[in-house]
Amino acid sequence: MSLLLDGFTLVAVFAGILFFVAGTAGLLRFPDTSSRLHALTKADHLGLGLIVLGLLPQAGGVLPALKLLVIWALALLAGATVGPLIARLAREEDAPP
Amino acid sequence: MAAAGAPPRGPTLAAAARGAAFLGLWVVLAGPAPDGLVVGLLAAGFATWASLRLMPPLPWRPRPGALLLLVLRFPWQALRAGTEVALLALDPRRRPHPGMLAWTPRLKAGRAQDAFLAYASLLPGTLPAGPLDGGAIAIHALDSRTPVGEAMTQEEARFAQAIGADG
Repeated sequence: MSLLLDGFTLVAVFAGILFFVAGTAGLLRFPDTSSRLHALTKADHLGLGLIVLGLLPQAGGVLPALKLLVIWALALLAGATVGPLIARLAREEDAPP
Repeated sequence: MAAAGAPPRGPTLAAAARGAAFLGLWVVLAGPAPDGLVVGLLAAGFATWASLRLMPPLPWRPRPGALLLLVLRFPWQALRAGTEVALLALDPRRRPHPGMLAWTPRLKAGRAQDAFLAYASLLPGTLPAGPLDGGAIAIHALDSRTPVGEAMTQEEARFAQAIGADG
């Protein structure tokens, strides 16, 4: 059982890292500020979610597991509030005077 | 009917619920150790006061079933959103077709609309980018060839129903 859970952790964390790599590739490749924000928020949010999911079996209790989930939720909340604000600033700066 | 002189029931309940939620958050983040709990109680009290000042309670009645569906659907949406972006970023044969479009929300300007726009920024392919003239919202789409506006309207209806802001 422990081997299975360790395997799950490895797969999920590795998948999470892949999404962080993809987010960084998008940051470098995408053509405009708002598209880069899509990469930074969506791919990284999923990456962090998968890493959290992978670490849940290793958390050693309900409270540490909840703490991991809360960290993911706080990262989502921060991204969801700041992302649209930066997109708005980028649009207003790009707009013709 | 409230007894004469008693504070209205709604705000007291809201304060109690928010205070309990903040204290719960503290316990999860800082642990249940009794010596830290005093600081936690103070922090939760201050957070409750600030949240009531900044965000007075509204008469929304969330529908538990619809809210649960929305929450359960979210991991699937996050998976779709992340995979879509990752494929675009990593596959050299694909490239984004970004574009800005004007989308008219059904929710009135205010907290429910703000909450939905924050939520929509986590959904596949859409990123709200501020208000436009005439009540429309600028939406940055990663693939502007897809029917982004219709998807937003459908999601908005689900969201409004879940938080009870559609009445």
